[in-house]
Amino acid sequence: MADKEPCLIGSRITIRGQVSGNQDLIVEGRIEGRVSLQNKFTVEESGQVEADLEVAEAALHGQVRGEVVATHSAHLHPTARVVGTIRAPRVVIEEGARFSGQIDMEVELPADVRAK
Amino acid sequence: MAKDKDRPMGNTVIGSSIVIDGEITGEEPLTILGTVKGKIVVAQNLTVEPGATVEANVEAQSLTVSGRVTGNVTVRERVELRSDAKMVGDVKSPRVVIADGASFKGNVDMDV
Repeated sequence: MADKEPCLIGSRITIRGQVSGNQDLIVEGRIEGRVSLQNKFTVEESGQVEADLEVAEAALHGQVRGEVVATHSAHLHPTARVVGTIRAPRVVIEEGARFSGQIDMEVELPADVRAK
Repeated sequence: MAKDKDRPMGNTVIGSSIVIDGEITGEEPLTILGTVKGKIVVAQNLTVEPGATVEANVEAQSLTVSGRVTGNVTVRERVELRSDAKMVGDVKSPRVVIADGASFKGNVDMDV
């Protein structure tokens, strides 16, 4: 289908369970569970996400707790509050964003550096 | 910030290629174009658009169906099955409208 209109979870909506799909998703409300998305996942400032994320691109402005796996990039904007693990080839943390947890950018070191 | 652009009425929209397996609760209107399995409880209007699939028990203020709904439905005001609606399940609502062309299998309880 051609319509790739962004999907919006409004500020007074809560979803518990598994969300999957291949279109952009914007969260102003609350998601608990698991999100698998082949596109961009945006958590707005009012958004609260307590879930493991498997997305292409994560743009985080709100509160996130869980494991964030992004195949492309994870971007923590100044209002983001994130607790958990971030795994992505590109991770951006802006001034003002709060983060607690582990970041894994899958750094490729030359073989002679990696070897002990 | 990406506010109010490309947004139909600012309401919650479950897009056509989104699948939700679980529970949706909320106090604002909800429009479904994709697939929802589980349970839906909203304090406002729930719209199931053409092409959408809902396999869930539903509680809502009102319900408008143009897509496919399987499950029991409890609505406080009004249920409307539009002409392209396909619904299987029991409906409990004070007002029920079934348009010509809609298909429905189940029990209707208007609390007469």
